[in-house]
Amino acid sequence: MVFGVSSTKKPVMILVFIAAPILIILLSLLIGRYPVDISSAVEILWCRITMQPCLIEDIYQTVVWDIRLPRAILGAMVGGCLAVSGAAFQGLFRNPLVNSGILGVSSGAGFGAALSIILFHQTAVTYTFAFGFGILAVTLSYLISRVYNATPTIMLVLGGVIVSSVFSALISLVKYLADPLDELPAIVFWLMGSLASARFSDIMIAGIPMLIGTAGLFLFRWRINVLSMGDREAHTLGINTTINKGIIIACATLATAGAVCVSGIIGWVGLVIPHIGRMIVGNDNKILIPVSFSLGAAFLVIVDDFGRILTGSEIPLGILTALIGAPFFVYLLKKTKGGGW
Amino acid sequence: MTPLVEVKNLSFEYPQGIILNQIDFTVGPGEIFCLLGPNGCGKTTLIDCVLGWLKPCAGQVLINGTPLLNMPAKKVARNMAYVPQVHEKTFPYLVKDIVLMGRASFIGPFRTPSPEDEAIAERSLAMVGIARLKDRPYTQLSGGECQLVMVARALAQNAPLIIMDEPTAHLDYRHELIIMETIAELTKQNGLSVLMATHIPNHCFYFENQGIATRAALIKEQRIIAMGKPSEVLTEHNLNELYSIHTRILDYPMDDGGNLKQVLPISTVKP
Repeated sequence: MVFGVSSTKKPVMILVFIAAPILIILLSLLIGRYPVDISSAVEILWCRITMQPCLIEDIYQTVVWDIRLPRAILGAMVGGCLAVSGAAFQGLFRNPLVNSGILGVSSGAGFGAALSIILFHQTAVTYTFAFGFGILAVTLSYLISRVYNATPTIMLVLGGVIVSSVFSALISLVKYLADPLDELPAIVFWLMGSLASARFSDIMIAGIPMLIGTAGLFLFRWRINVLSMGDREAHTLGINTTINKGIIIACATLATAGAVCVSGIIGWVGLVIPHIGRMIVGNDNKILIPVSFSLGAAFLVIVDDFGRILTGSEIPLGILTALIGAPFFVYLLKKTKGGGW
Repeated sequence: MTPLVEVKNLSFEYPQGIILNQIDFTVGPGEIFCLLGPNGCGKTTLIDCVLGWLKPCAGQVLINGTPLLNMPAKKVARNMAYVPQVHEKTFPYLVKDIVLMGRASFIGPFRTPSPEDEAIAERSLAMVGIARLKDRPYTQLSGGECQLVMVARALAQNAPLIIMDEPTAHLDYRHELIIMETIAELTKQNGLSVLMATHIPNHCFYFENQGIATRAALIKEQRIIAMGKPSEVLTEHNLNELYSIHTRILDYPMDDGGNLKQVLPISTVKP
């Protein structure tokens, strides 16, 4: 552990992990094509929250309140959800190389989005389709794994692999059929992930599954430790493995599907953020789950800020998460000597 | 007195064939019950049936007089703890985190361990003599130390019975003895019962030599062929029957007046 957490430092650590994403969200209100200084940003937020008239130019109000704030909040929620589900799945599947998409939620959501793009051309329908197919994919993986009337871990992973590959093939099929002038680019962009269209209404809709899923994982976080001992040992330790696994899969899936349906497919966060958490606070999911949320939230908002300012046009998130995250991860690996692996 | 575990007329079969055929035995309070038998005789399957992990095809298992079938995992865990033969390590949890998991059956679904649970975990570590390891990642421990962590986790469960599947497999000579001493100590001091599968007949004699109520069941070809006190059932004839080996049973008078019994293997029986 790099920053070895002693019990005296614990309150400080908790404060840091709560404050960091909030500060980063606030900072990202200032960054972009229209620079906003801190005092005006604070004034706009204050006026909007207290419903008072504001003296700052309307354009800045729109930029800060209607565009950057919802985008940053949504980014934080998406990053947090992907990281938390990734951490939960890694524990559940007893495998540190697992990510939040292991049961096919990403490819399912991708197919749903692509399908709705060529059929309906409406964002709202795209959300619903992405969410619905994401859930459908996980349900299928779960049912496939139950052919033996139990849910052995290896069968779940296999089910996920099967379902993912089917939906990937279906995505290709839809791309093949799509109109190459407008539909195909829309699908490709969706699959690369973006928060550019984020509005408060998105937070309201997609926020519900994200909140329910994350809250469930938070409440069950210690049980993930026990489940990571393997089915037989978890059973003898007094845990009903079928029910507890089902609940954790359901929560992680709600969180991930909620995130993916508004942001598109964003890789890397669900795999690597939990590892960064493991290096900092260890493997106890009691601490790791909340820390992963905090790290994932902070990371995705920062990456999204880079995506907005690096070039004149936006760089899709899915590209930047790995390009920015990989060197940072290598640095951490070196610094912590792998965190005890 | 109700036995902690009562196995009644238990049979188990896979589609490939019968594994266990009409097994009957009980484990009483404060007793060490050893299952002996060649590889593949069904010891682990029998243990899995007693744990409720596998469902027997016929017969039943009673835990404290209550049928095990459909008993919630939580209740089973409060009646018996399990030390696995091989624990597959995944994440580098700290030793104290592993032992805390023994408290799972006392911790509600939405809760995390309380300070009281932590105190029990620390006490369990102290009971097996590895309190100093509590802040170490358990992936860095030796096989013997790791096995002691598993025993500590079982103790944290506060169950009257501990079930062990070859607890000394893969351990060096000294650590094998440490585990044996720990088991003997726990039975004598805390009145725990132990049901263990083992490949080493001398383990049974070790406990009997210590004056602990010990019984052994010899399992061959799906059935128990002999059951009773080690000095009565671990005879040269029975060991020949069980493992097809020639042995001598040695009886060595100790300074404190007791007798030290040991099995000495001589040769295999050539077909």
